[in-house]
Amino acid sequence: MIELRNVSLKYGDKEILKNVSLTVRDNTIKAILGPSGVGKSTILKLMLGLIKPNKGQVIVDGTDITGMKETALYGIRRKMGMVFQGNALFDSLTISQNLGFFLRENLKLPEDEIRLKVAEQIQFAGLEGYEDQLPESLSGGMRRRVAIGRALIFKPHMILFDEPTAGLDPVSSKKILSLISSLRHNNNLGAVIVTHIIDDVFNVADSVAVLYQGEIIFDDVTEKLHESEHQFIRSILSDKILEL
Amino acid sequence: MKTGESTVIASHRTQFMPLAFIRTLEKRFVQQVKDFFLTMQEFFFFSLRAFMAFPKMIRYWRDVLDQATICGTDSIPIVLVSAISIGALLAIEVGNLLEDFGAKTMLGRSTALSVIRELGPLLMGLMLSARFGSRNGAELGAMQISEQIDALRAFGTDPIAKLVMPRLLAALIMFLPLTALSDFAGLQSAAYMAEHYHRIDPGIFWNAVYPRLVAKDFVVGFLKAPVFAIIITLVSSFNGFSARGGTAGVGRSTIKGIVVSSGLVLIANFYVSKIVLENM
Repeated sequence: MIELRNVSLKYGDKEILKNVSLTVRDNTIKAILGPSGVGKSTILKLMLGLIKPNKGQVIVDGTDITGMKETALYGIRRKMGMVFQGNALFDSLTISQNLGFFLRENLKLPEDEIRLKVAEQIQFAGLEGYEDQLPESLSGGMRRRVAIGRALIFKPHMILFDEPTAGLDPVSSKKILSLISSLRHNNNLGAVIVTHIIDDVFNVADSVAVLYQGEIIFDDVTEKLHESEHQFIRSILSDKILEL
Repeated sequence: MKTGESTVIASHRTQFMPLAFIRTLEKRFVQQVKDFFLTMQEFFFFSLRAFMAFPKMIRYWRDVLDQATICGTDSIPIVLVSAISIGALLAIEVGNLLEDFGAKTMLGRSTALSVIRELGPLLMGLMLSARFGSRNGAELGAMQISEQIDALRAFGTDPIAKLVMPRLLAALIMFLPLTALSDFAGLQSAAYMAEHYHRIDPGIFWNAVYPRLVAKDFVVGFLKAPVFAIIITLVSSFNGFSARGGTAGVGRSTIKGIVVSSGLVLIANFYVSKIVLENM
């Protein structure tokens, strides 16, 4: 379980997050919805301890990670896999090397076992035949699947997705969303999805938090979003995609 | 508005506008000084972490080898070109000057001192600042912008140990042979020009070089190699890690890395020479 308790964050004079509190339970999919530049991706980085809040606490599985040192955070980060918005694949490594990166870096596994796990992920992501290609030679959807495979390979409890369908064509978007849905059913995983596309929320999320002007203005099960009277939520429900 | 009122407002403006401007300037100056010291503090801890990651060199030996190829083997052509051209030019100009005093036979000695103590390592440092430093800045900057450095941290890898330490270690190892190569090429081209331009017998040229060189001359020259390696690698890598604002940000951080490291190489060159020559 991941919890943000009264988290505030400033970049210079700009207040990005104001007293944000939210909880992500195990084996559930939580969406964080909001327009671009509002601090959604920042929330994911806070959950991983990549940035520290000015105020408040970030708690992962009962451990307060707010004041933790970088080396102590490595253990916490192994509980979470992250799929970055631009995929953040290591562009000098092949697809297989990208997938096996974590295993080679952090676990002292025999090379045969690593190859087996990489092959499993290649199959899961439907990328057979692309093992030795560099990320630049793949399409956007394929790269996103590699990024998901890379985040899954070390069997985390929770996956954090930063705009998983942004910039993808409708077919690739559908594939990615069904991949995310299958994770919970097949792998018993929880997920946090940051998005500005409301259809993605209704397609995969159990609950949704809406971030607006640095504050959470809605946090409940997805179905209840329709009942909200907040003007911003009414407007995004009618527009479907948040205008930036 | 009455004429009297507008005159009062105008006089207020003329009184307070310069004051407001000075206050803004003062605020900006204070902010810049604060930013400078914060950056220096960040750079200090960044450098410390790079040195403290040396025990991980066995784990990242492949990365060290890759970087040694990039900053060592791949840099040989540019080091040779710059050393040969400066050695030849030095022989011509110094030879002409010595001819006026009838001391052309001293060409070997004066060229050797200039090349081994100063120009060999300095030119190598500047060339590697442009070649190796720009590569570091651009590569690490692009990794920062595309969140690859965040991805490393998210996967439990220390990005400084993985990306900066191998570069630093490779530069520390490879800059020494590159300095030797630069000295050798510079002296050979000077000897060639002495023979073919100034008609000085090679025996006379080399006789003025070897017996007169002392340990101090080599210490001055070769001490600069690790100093330049540290400056170039850490400054360019730090700027790469600090890149913000898309591809334009990568460009800015790369340029900053080259300019700052080249300037520091020139300053360090002076102080290393001064300190060693005064104390040996």
